[in-house]
Amino acid sequence: MTSRGTASRFLQSVLRNGVGRYVGQLKRVSIVFSKNGQSSLGIREFIEEGVVDYATKNPGTVVYVTPSPCRIPRIVAEYMNGNVREKTVTSKTSKEISEILTQMANQSGLDIIRIRKPFHTDNPSIQGQWHPFTHRPPSIGPIKPRTLED
Amino acid sequence: MALTLTAALGETLRRTACRLRADPRSASLFKHTGLLFPSFERHRSSRPIAALSPSSLVPATSLSRPPWPEVQPLCPEEERRRHAAVVQKVNTHIANEDYGRLFAVVHFASHQWKVTNEDLILVENHIAAGCGDRIRMEKVLMVGGENFTVIGRPLIGKELVRVEATVIEKTESWPKVYMQFWKRHRFQRKRIVKTPQTILRINTIEVAPRFT
Repeated sequence: MTSRGTASRFLQSVLRNGVGRYVGQLKRVSIVFSKNGQSSLGIREFIEEGVVDYATKNPGTVVYVTPSPCRIPRIVAEYMNGNVREKTVTSKTSKEISEILTQMANQSGLDIIRIRKPFHTDNPSIQGQWHPFTHRPPSIGPIKPRTLED
Repeated sequence: MALTLTAALGETLRRTACRLRADPRSASLFKHTGLLFPSFERHRSSRPIAALSPSSLVPATSLSRPPWPEVQPLCPEEERRRHAAVVQKVNTHIANEDYGRLFAVVHFASHQWKVTNEDLILVENHIAAGCGDRIRMEKVLMVGGENFTVIGRPLIGKELVRVEATVIEKTESWPKVYMQFWKRHRFQRKRIVKTPQTILRINTIEVAPRFT
């Protein structure tokens, strides 16, 4: 759809992230896969090789690995602001899955919809906002009621 | 065209002036009325409002002169002295930390941003820095506080300003639809475009009292 027909939001961050310390926004990652399905081959390879490195690189994220009989393997990411993002990874290679996971770790949980402005300030004016009488005296003096002159 | 016309006019005027100056009678008339051509003098009541420069015949209106005050050009010595005084004042302000919140105009990722502390910027491409890394923005065009502004020509030196930012987030944009459709030609293409985005938070803007 067009950008007018879809949802939109202003640029924001979760709880002033970055002003003091940067906090990774990914809270929990659950990898749901099956032990014997062909579509989970990539996931199984990734779990053999890359999961531990990923977990050590993102110490603030908890990684759950849950094998269960399922036809479509999934990665479920939960963020600090409560948003949950699910991504199906059927028949993906181990490298692609690691890329997906690093991308999810770099995101914050805010909705991926149109962002209205590429900037956000809480203090837009420092030297005073301009109005038509900045640097100019109002030309007619104080406005007084008219007096009758004889 | 205009040049030749004025030249001819100047020639005729000069010739008439020479003739008048040579003639003693007309010289006295000139001193009396104060005009070169006495036939042009009008009666006082029908004379228009005096123009700003006496030689202009057009009456003064609100658009005769610009609305800003006229600035007299100074000699270079005086200009240098005034500049040094202003710079000294700005340096003392900065050394005493008299400023409140500073703003900076920064050139980054082929855009210019007017930036303060704690504000967010969205850059529409990938940056070679991980999430949480601190970045210094080097191309600063302008810096200012409430009482002073420093304008670079075009940039301000790196030893005078320091603007630091943190990379908060590296995502993709929302899926933008790129579609072409020609009616009655059975032609349509559709592509979903997701561009990489980086969100930066400006942490600090620092100025050093070393302006010259």
